[in-house]
Amino acid sequence: MAKKLRGEFFILSANDLRTGEVVFLTEKGWSVNSSEATIIKIDQVDKFQAISDRDEKKCIIVSSKFVELDENRKIKSLRDKIRNSGLTFKI
Amino acid sequence: MYKYSEKDKSIIESRTKQFKNQVQRRLNGQLSEEEFKPLRLMNGLYLQLHAYMLRVAIPYGELSSSQLRKLAFIAEKFDRGYGHFTTRQNIQFNWPKLPDVPDILHELSKVEMHAIQTSGNCIRNISSDHLAGITIDEIEDPRPWCEIIRQWSTFHPEFSFLPRKFKIAVIGSKKDRAAMLVHDIGLRLIKKDKEIGFEVFVGGGQGRTPIIAKKIKNFLQKKDLLNYLEAILNTYNQEGRRDNIYKARIKILVKELGIEKFKLLVDENFKKLSDKNLEIDKVSIDKIFSFFTLPELKPNSHKVQIHKNKEYNEWVTQNTLSHKVSGYSIVHISLKSANHPPGDISSQQMMALSKISEDFSFSEIRVTHEQNLILPHVENKNIYKLWIELKKLSLATPNIGLISDTICCPGMDYCALATARSIPISQKISNHFKSFSDQKILGDLKIKISGCINACGHHHVGNIGILGLDRNGQEFYQITLGGSAKEDASIGEIVGPSFPESKLIDAINTILNTYKKNKKKKTEDFLSVFRRVGIKEFKKDLYDNT
Amino acid sequence: MIILNKRHEKENEYKKINDRDFLDRKFFDGAILNLAQWVEIKKEFKNKKVKIGIEFSSNECSSSNESSMSEISLIQIKFETFKDGRPFTFARNLRKKYGYKGEIRATGHILPDQYIFLIRCGFDSVEIAESDKDIWIEFLNMDNGLYYQP
Repeated sequence: MAKKLRGEFFILSANDLRTGEVVFLTEKGWSVNSSEATIIKIDQVDKFQAISDRDEKKCIIVSSKFVELDENRKIKSLRDKIRNSGLTFKI
Repeated sequence: MYKYSEKDKSIIESRTKQFKNQVQRRLNGQLSEEEFKPLRLMNGLYLQLHAYMLRVAIPYGELSSSQLRKLAFIAEKFDRGYGHFTTRQNIQFNWPKLPDVPDILHELSKVEMHAIQTSGNCIRNISSDHLAGITIDEIEDPRPWCEIIRQWSTFHPEFSFLPRKFKIAVIGSKKDRAAMLVHDIGLRLIKKDKEIGFEVFVGGGQGRTPIIAKKIKNFLQKKDLLNYLEAILNTYNQEGRRDNIYKARIKILVKELGIEKFKLLVDENFKKLSDKNLEIDKVSIDKIFSFFTLPELKPNSHKVQIHKNKEYNEWVTQNTLSHKVSGYSIVHISLKSANHPPGDISSQQMMALSKISEDFSFSEIRVTHEQNLILPHVENKNIYKLWIELKKLSLATPNIGLISDTICCPGMDYCALATARSIPISQKISNHFKSFSDQKILGDLKIKISGCINACGHHHVGNIGILGLDRNGQEFYQITLGGSAKEDASIGEIVGPSFPESKLIDAINTILNTYKKNKKKKTEDFLSVFRRVGIKEFKKDLYDNT
Repeated sequence: MIILNKRHEKENEYKKINDRDFLDRKFFDGAILNLAQWVEIKKEFKNKKVKIGIEFSSNECSSSNESSMSEISLIQIKFETFKDGRPFTFARNLRKKYGYKGEIRATGHILPDQYIFLIRCGFDSVEIAESDKDIWIEFLNMDNGLYYQP
């Protein structure tokens, strides 16, 4: 069961077990592209948690979490934004 | 430098194989993430915000040119072409892939390196004074003792599943350049009636409960070092709290019991558990010491060359120190140039520096806990030539110990725990205070920045400490003043309500103005002024608009 | 579940006592008592060598529960989680501080990766799933006998 979530809409994210890359659950499976991610309503969370648990067991992903979206269906928190778009400075 | 024995080699190889097996079991599902996590952490492998991160141990901060070359190779082949030096004198790679990690560890083992115990609830890499063995003010070289402790603590069967991580620092001078007093155990070599032994401190730490370590023993004989450490660890492993991760460090146990009671338990364990076989005899001490001799330096009367070049002169004043052997200098390489993440270094820079160390510094390099590098033995007559080489690599920023030489954790750009970013803050500061002469006016000044309360950026012990917080989704920065990580260690005081990023530089400027106007003489540094006038003056200027 | 003693499987000569038998004081050979039960009846066994075991949870592995247990032939330590390192110190203290000579056994949530550490801290045996036997032995075989500690 997912931790208590606040918010209405989410996307499901995780890290690829092998590469560590940030991935998002889409209709076609896990993808690095968050814009393709399936939008999940709060009442669907359990269903998607089950998918995540299954894929974690299958050793595809690790450390999954629901990423909250704002009213424009964009990623809400700064951490999740950075997680999605990468470092905020040049290296 | 220490050289691996056959035994060391074989132990490291066997661990590399073991980890390969563990990764295999993880990839095919025999190990769950919950089970794999502590195992990977004990091999320095984290899962961070964007990717895995591998932390490689650099015991007491000492590197050979071939080791640095290997790190460059790893950064290039398995990562994104750079590494990051940490406040425990280690290096981190930010983008490795899980199946590659056993190969990386194998590559490291070829140059006598590893990632063992750089993370996890075990005894971590031992840190030390970056000037060990090369300054005059030293009672004894702490590095051999670090090595003795490194060996003893590696795969310790009893202490690999402690309540929480455990950090030890050893220093050999009165001056503390290793933040020894904010370690779980701090050891300082001292001399008493002609005998050299240890002063032992325990229960220091940063994080959400910053505490300066308490002295637990005035004088510990060398031979008893490991038995005494076992007595402390044994007590901690059994009595340390395991119900709450934030209360699990030894500092909380020492605080809850009081140092006197804690000492009684330790002394009793020391009496009952001391093992003759753990006593260190003179022969083995001498053997370890034999690895840490100076290279063949030839004392000479050359002074550091004066030059017409202003930039060069600034760099010499700020980044070089006298070596204990006349005619030589200790050269700091700043990894804090403006617009550059503090502590980061590219694989090209590492590669070039490796060669430079061979040409100029007997193939030795050191890492400081302030996230800079050192070339420990450079002949004075070669200093200008060296500067030219470093300048080509953008590694000649003249700011050691100045305001732009910040300590900074990776913050929310990398770290899954962070509550705010820290690298962009550090970059803003170094950009704002770029001018050497402006920085010189401010004198010795340590700004330390952490992106969360775990305090990896040492903000509690910064003269100016900056802590990044999350306020309803916005980054805010709390400022502490008056911290110090030196022999006069102190925890900074919170100056008042925190600032949004946009107001932070102004706030720092106000604080610096308060310092400047209260300064009694030109040489009085920030910390001295703060300690003399107190936080009130700073508060007044920062928050009273009248 | 099987009992592994170093590389060899051995017969489990012990069994937990049930509440009924305990109340009736029917202490059969090879009974395992929990800590509370042991505390309750310990006087009766003073200075008598008995084939009896006590089970400690890893939560109970504190110094206040350490004492001489020379009467007891088995001390079984149940790891609530493999991350709890107290039993390592507990076992070592029983051996070193109190000279305990009987069997010390690990059970509960333990990993083969810990096998060598367990043995080196004074454990003799582990209780594991039969299907895990090979990997436990494999880990023991990885031990090259080289340690930094005595």
